[in-house]
Amino acid sequence: MLHWVQHRWTSLWLLISALAALCLFLYGFFPLKYHSGKLASMDDLPNVINGVSIDGQEVYNSGENSVILMVIDGLRYDFATEEYMPFTGQLIKNKSACLYVSVAEPPTVTMPRIKSPDRKKEKAQWRRTINFWRDIFAMMTGSVSTFADVALNFGAPAVVGDSVLRVAAAKGRRTVMYGDDTWLRLFPGLWTESDGTTSFFVTDYTEVDKNVTRHLDRILTPDEKKKPPFDLLVLHYLGLDHIGHLEGARSPKIKPKLLEMDDVVKKIYKAMQTWERKGVLLLCGDHGMRDAGGHGGASPAELLVPLVVLTSDGFRCPHEAGAGGTVAQTDVAPSLAWLLGAPPPGDSAGRVLAALLPRDPRQHLYLLHVLAERNARLVPSTDKEFYKQFERAKVQFAHFLATGQQSAAKIAKEFYEESLEEMSKYLTETTTDFDMFALISATCILYLLAGALLCITLYSLQSEARRKISFPKLHRSKASSLIAFVVVLVISAFTLITACFITETKSQFCSFSPLWSIAFIAAAVTITVAYFIIKTTIENTKDLSILRDLNAIDYLLIIGTLFHSWSFFGTSFIEEEHMTWYFFWNTLMFFILVRTIVVVVMYFAKRWSGATEFQEKPHLENRMSSVGVSIVPQWVLLIALHRYLRTMNQTGDRWLFLPDTADWLNSPENSFYLEAHLVIGSLLTLAICLWNIRFMNNYMQIHSALTVLATACTLCHRIATNALVTPFPIIKTWDPVLIVNIFWGLLISQVIFELLTYIGLFKTCGFPLKGDNKFAYNKPKAKNEDYFYDQMEEPWNIDEVKLNLARSITHIMYNDLMLIIILLMKPHNVIMVPSIYFTCKLTSKCLDHKLLDARMRKGTEILDVLSKSLVHLWIGFLFYFYQGNSNSLASVELGAGYVGLREYSAARVAARVGLHAYAAPALAGAQLFCAAAARAHHWKGYLESVWRVINIFALQRVYQLVIYCLIAILFRHHLFVWTVFSPKLLYDFVATVFSVQALSTICVIVLLTHASSWMAKKLTYKSTL
Amino acid sequence: MFSLNNHLELRRVTISSLVTCIYLPSIVTVISYKGLLYSVGNASSLYVLVLIFIAELIKSFYLNSNNDLQVKKKASKSRVGDIVKSIVFLLGVKFCFFIGIILFGAPVLEYNEETLILSSLLTLLTLFPLIAHTGVELAVQLLFGVKTFPRDTIIAMLVNNALLTVCGAWLGAVVIPLDWNTPWQQWPIPCYLGAIGGYLLSNVLTVTKVTLMSAANKHPFLGIFVNMMNKLHISK
Repeated sequence: MLHWVQHRWTSLWLLISALAALCLFLYGFFPLKYHSGKLASMDDLPNVINGVSIDGQEVYNSGENSVILMVIDGLRYDFATEEYMPFTGQLIKNKSACLYVSVAEPPTVTMPRIKSPDRKKEKAQWRRTINFWRDIFAMMTGSVSTFADVALNFGAPAVVGDSVLRVAAAKGRRTVMYGDDTWLRLFPGLWTESDGTTSFFVTDYTEVDKNVTRHLDRILTPDEKKKPPFDLLVLHYLGLDHIGHLEGARSPKIKPKLLEMDDVVKKIYKAMQTWERKGVLLLCGDHGMRDAGGHGGASPAELLVPLVVLTSDGFRCPHEAGAGGTVAQTDVAPSLAWLLGAPPPGDSAGRVLAALLPRDPRQHLYLLHVLAERNARLVPSTDKEFYKQFERAKVQFAHFLATGQQSAAKIAKEFYEESLEEMSKYLTETTTDFDMFALISATCILYLLAGALLCITLYSLQSEARRKISFPKLHRSKASSLIAFVVVLVISAFTLITACFITETKSQFCSFSPLWSIAFIAAAVTITVAYFIIKTTIENTKDLSILRDLNAIDYLLIIGTLFHSWSFFGTSFIEEEHMTWYFFWNTLMFFILVRTIVVVVMYFAKRWSGATEFQEKPHLENRMSSVGVSIVPQWVLLIALHRYLRTMNQTGDRWLFLPDTADWLNSPENSFYLEAHLVIGSLLTLAICLWNIRFMNNYMQIHSALTVLATACTLCHRIATNALVTPFPIIKTWDPVLIVNIFWGLLISQVIFELLTYIGLFKTCGFPLKGDNKFAYNKPKAKNEDYFYDQMEEPWNIDEVKLNLARSITHIMYNDLMLIIILLMKPHNVIMVPSIYFTCKLTSKCLDHKLLDARMRKGTEILDVLSKSLVHLWIGFLFYFYQGNSNSLASVELGAGYVGLREYSAARVAARVGLHAYAAPALAGAQLFCAAAARAHHWKGYLESVWRVINIFALQRVYQLVIYCLIAILFRHHLFVWTVFSPKLLYDFVATVFSVQALSTICVIVLLTHASSWMAKKLTYKSTL
Repeated sequence: MFSLNNHLELRRVTISSLVTCIYLPSIVTVISYKGLLYSVGNASSLYVLVLIFIAELIKSFYLNSNNDLQVKKKASKSRVGDIVKSIVFLLGVKFCFFIGIILFGAPVLEYNEETLILSSLLTLLTLFPLIAHTGVELAVQLLFGVKTFPRDTIIAMLVNNALLTVCGAWLGAVVIPLDWNTPWQQWPIPCYLGAIGGYLLSNVLTVTKVTLMSAANKHPFLGIFVNMMNKLHISK
């Protein structure tokens, strides 16, 4: 198995299997299947019950009703009493109204933002909408929402599936909304009339409610036919919640506010008496509040909210005075739908409130039947007890319909209610439960993979000579290792199967259906492979003495990388992950600053104090010669640059609303500075690209021309999209899509041109282009010939040319990446691209072990690879956050997805958005590979350093994944699981996909080099001989 | 075990550290008892710096007293010049701290007063005792590692104090982004208190170490701890 470990791309394969394991984890974490999105219609109502026919539409009809849903934000259970709301309390007491306890789904909501300037407002609104989503979603669709509902249509937080409003609109009911404008965003286009109030100015608790109440007199006045001008009226009062946030539940302002609400109830009640048709008022809170104010937890004060039902037609509450039963928030949806004469929404799993159920047993039973049948359809298996109960109830109902026996009706009702209760419980459980078996097995696989990668990385850190020594003496035969593999595979598969049966899991992973069996076997194979890799490397890793040579900065890099993953145990460290990176990076810069100053001061002190001592320590001279004294001022300038970039975009959550440099630049009066940023960024990128061209082939002029043209394209694109003023107005009329297409053409032709020159096509076609022939084949020097000419298959310098080609393609990749990214970036962020380059360059220079270490050592190349890979990872993360990204889905920049596109195309938009978001890690990684290629002295050395870098990158990625999966499992019931943990999981997933992509790009480059080399041999090599 | 000179010096180190361990916590206790702890960043809390300044000055007099070597140097006529030089140097260092703190992330346009107070505190706790003890040139040489110094001396203590103070201020910044919404998560309170904490910790460590060392004379097994602490100390 040793050849696996030594194989260059093993870690890439391991990373790909880690991605697969992560998919399994995500499957367990976000069950996707529950909301069918099915739209309900009246034809769905059953007309036949167990063979007895019934006119569904006629029986279902609830008559003409006008329904008012009055939501008071933050109304908790103990507020709906006589003490706070005397009128309502009185009604409940004399049984004219019914009071239920409704249970909100935790987690409810976090603090709305205190105040946000315009640009940030959108992001804050999004966050609020997500939180608000759950309560309203439950009330309007009748089903518990899952994270997937939110995540899968981010950007437009509208409810896609069926809802009460959808069915009501389909029936042509008039729906009116006054209050929180989040409703309008959740259900766009479904309102006949609306007036939204923004909920962001939390300090305001009178205006928000006045804005709602001012419409009441008009809307409640019946028309000439004594009918109110609406069928469903939604009133959402925010004032109470705002008081709660500001001053807490014990505030003296609560009581007057509740009295005001009570007056509204009174007004509605009085108005309802004057109507001809039946009026129904549902008064409820969407969540409660803590005594200290605020909400979002899972304590009873936050979860239990009152639900008061009262109707205008001599209504008597069937329950004991005081307390009705406990109902779920999802019960509101079918009740509303039924009252409006519309079918229950497609995915609703709730019941009609008991107080509203009609007295007529036929209609009553029919309603129960409709709901039970709907729920039964959502339950996959039919062998559950409640399903049988439902079958029995059906028989009794049919019996009652046929004979009219009251006893049968009674039994049917009982059966229906029992089965409904069980079904609701089951459905809520399955939608909110995690697939623990999948989660844990995915985490275990990730853990094993991380172990395997760690072993490989440590193995690769040995120097080559040492690895050769540790080659095992005894050679096992191929057959025996195959048998060993199969045995371990059988054992691991058997263990997995046993685990399935012991845990009695309901997981699909253990269902042994054909599709899942493949995943199951793949998991077993992965475990086996990881086992063998760990075993082999442990046997063969003999010498890790190199780790003893780490200096303080290496330790800082390693410990920082390790600690970063563990910091996610705190939610605020996830929300403010950028702070962690800024802190680490500052520490690193500080360390390097001190070190470089010390080295420089020592150098001068020794130099001036006397030549004798200076000559005794020649290594000081060596250390200085690579960087020069100017390193210190350069480094200070770099620190200043980073200080500036840090202010560019506020990110995270807590300080998101603070104004930042980007806000300042984007205000119209500062457009000159914005354009200056854009032009300087683009021109610096161009300069860097031109500087990189020296690594390319012998036809410099053509490459330079192509690069200049591509940069001109990006600038023209900016002008055409009005981001830049120009003295040439003609450019403004050019088509941006065309410009971008030309840009792509230029980049592609550059790559093809490079490959063709390598193969030597131009030479054979008779275009002898001049230049310093990097790709020319010569005989190796004579002195080599005498001792290893015979062993060499090729007498030509194939390896050297290969290295030149790899160098050149890597630099082309880096150049193209930079150009694409300046095309996609927002104008003020373009400056990030050259900044990344300068940071990487300067940091690599300063991290040189020769410069920093006090003692002299011989082989520092391997340590250099280690510290440089880590530092490039850090730079990637750092700029990722400088650019304004965060761990919340709101910060995804969707605008970048449409650059140079005429119409929406999912794959292209996704690729652009992803590349824009992960621009910084991509650029830093590309820069690292460029540096590896430029530094390498020979082809072998290049492959070796690429191997090490890939191992380290893959290890870091999988390590972070496994820790985060562990955290996600531990905190799966945490209050912030939706707003903080789940988005971060999605971000990690995307980051893993991009790491796989990046590493396979490097793989492709190496393969391309091999392929071109082969082609060159076939085509030209013979002819030049 | 110890030479006479070493013994004397050790005694001074112990006593000055002990004094620090007493006076700094008492200052912090008093201001927190007065409810002024959260205003330590303002200019109104300048008296804390003055108190620390006086205490450090007295300590340095004690450390320098009948130290023959130093006295001979300082007895010359350039004493006033030395003082002026030190003051200018300290102001320069303070300015460097100020710029450094801003470069490493303090607000640029606001809170300048607070940043200035913090940089004064850092100067006072790190470089001032060192300069008062050794003079400007030697202090610079010590800082940049041109001159090495032996273990368990006054200079070693002072350098360790300086390092741990900076570390404390640095680590203090960690709590600022947390979402606890406490009044002390204001710039620069955590860093200010972190610097004081670091300084205090360094002194406590010195006292503990000296105590252990003298105890190890009688009970040799305690020597393990002494060795452990020797390794803990930051070495250049």
